[in-house]
Amino acid sequence: MRVTLQEELDQLEAALQEEGALVLRALRGCLNALEQSDVELADEVIAFDDEVDDAYLAIEEGIQSLLARQTPVAVDLRLVLAILHDNLHLERMADYCVTISKLTKLVQDVPHDQTLLEGFEEMGQRAEEMIRVALDSFRDRNAARAESLVDLDELIDRANRRVVGHVLSLGGDPALREWGLRMIIVSRCLERIGDHAVDIGEQTAYLVSGDFREFTDASHGPGTTPRDL
Amino acid sequence: MVMSDMESAPAAPARIAGVDEKILAERAREAASTRRDVLFDVSRLTVSYADVPALKGVSLEIYKNFVTAFIGPSGCGKSTFIRCFNRMNDLIPSANVDGTILYHGIDLYGPEVDSVEVRKRIGMVFQKPNPFPKSIYDNVAFGPRVLGWKKDLDARVERALRHAALWDEVKNRLKASAYSLSGGQQQRLCIARCLAVEPDVLLMDEPASALDPISTTAIEDLMHELKREYTIVIVTHNMQQAARVADMTAFFSVEVDEEQDRRTGVLVEYDATPTIFTNPGDKRTEDYVTGRFG
Repeated sequence: MRVTLQEELDQLEAALQEEGALVLRALRGCLNALEQSDVELADEVIAFDDEVDDAYLAIEEGIQSLLARQTPVAVDLRLVLAILHDNLHLERMADYCVTISKLTKLVQDVPHDQTLLEGFEEMGQRAEEMIRVALDSFRDRNAARAESLVDLDELIDRANRRVVGHVLSLGGDPALREWGLRMIIVSRCLERIGDHAVDIGEQTAYLVSGDFREFTDASHGPGTTPRDL
Repeated sequence: MVMSDMESAPAAPARIAGVDEKILAERAREAASTRRDVLFDVSRLTVSYADVPALKGVSLEIYKNFVTAFIGPSGCGKSTFIRCFNRMNDLIPSANVDGTILYHGIDLYGPEVDSVEVRKRIGMVFQKPNPFPKSIYDNVAFGPRVLGWKKDLDARVERALRHAALWDEVKNRLKASAYSLSGGQQQRLCIARCLAVEPDVLLMDEPASALDPISTTAIEDLMHELKREYTIVIVTHNMQQAARVADMTAFFSVEVDEEQDRRTGVLVEYDATPTIFTNPGDKRTEDYVTGRFG
């Protein structure tokens, strides 16, 4: 039994879960800032990204060191590779939270549409749930639960597709239209967070089965029509 | 409409990446190099010493121009197994080999087969370098002389030393004793000695385990070069060595019979090396390669 290797793998995995908890805090923060037009909170979320980046770098360095010294193979190798990918996915999620916060600051003096804001709260909650499912199914090595992320993602995707229509229906007021255009990007950010959660799910399935496959085929599946983009 | 159009459309890469003749040629070469021509076909092989089986029921195929590694814990029968390929077990009076090994389709243990001819075609390198107490030149020339190949002996010796990546280091002192060489050089000299009789296969039983890391790297690089012309079978304790050099890896383990106090080697899994080290099919292989064995 390679005690040191196992300890290092455990530490890396724990660090990944901690990074996930940071991302959840960033997401909740940017959603609250958006809903309440809270510019201070938005600034906090932007500054908080440094913590996520530090967590990301620590995991990256840990993996580099482990690969150099321990030459993991088989399930250990797959775990390291999965953590390597998941680490990047979590870091990107936090970046989207920063983008949402910056957009929140940009529209602080512009009129809002309450219906759309409530829609974002719902999308955000779904994104939070997806991150939790992604992290839990990874921890539990539960490939079936990881694949259930596809269905959750479909709900966010649908909400995202409705946003454009809603923005178009906001009318001709230039200020409201500016707000709407920026909100399309907010919606896109939340939708992308969901995509990254699905990617983490795919890594879980790879870790468990040893075979990598995409849950949905983005090149040939239903996502290819312009309407679905 | 859009969807069905896209589904029936030709694959995108032809338009995006273009078709590069060089890439196609490279792919054809790769496909040829990964083609599996069976050289040895082992079927239900059991080796016993004094009627006690050391290795039981092994069946596998060894492919031409591949490096094939046998790994496993001590006592799993991997050295016993590799010695079957050139009938080295014949030299142990109590050893008995059951089952068949076909070499180019011919039964290696058939009555008409000359074991000396077998050992000429299927050379062997051992754990500890074992040069003869002769000059470097005479070590390499030994085999050809025994076979009566007197013509162009110098050229033959040079070619074997070059193939063993030793020529540049010894060309100015061919008359010096083989014992004046370092351990790593002696091992490459033993490889040159094998190559001088133009074998088909090189069997290597822990060829680098007595060598320092630099010499080990030299031997591993050499294996990579040699597999263009020869088929190589290697036994190694060093799993990372197997991962580095082998195309195919066979994992052997030990079955313990507590009642009779017997330990018998068995083949657990045989697959492409990347599979063995990323996604082995058997739990016992996984436990061994990840260091969780026992």
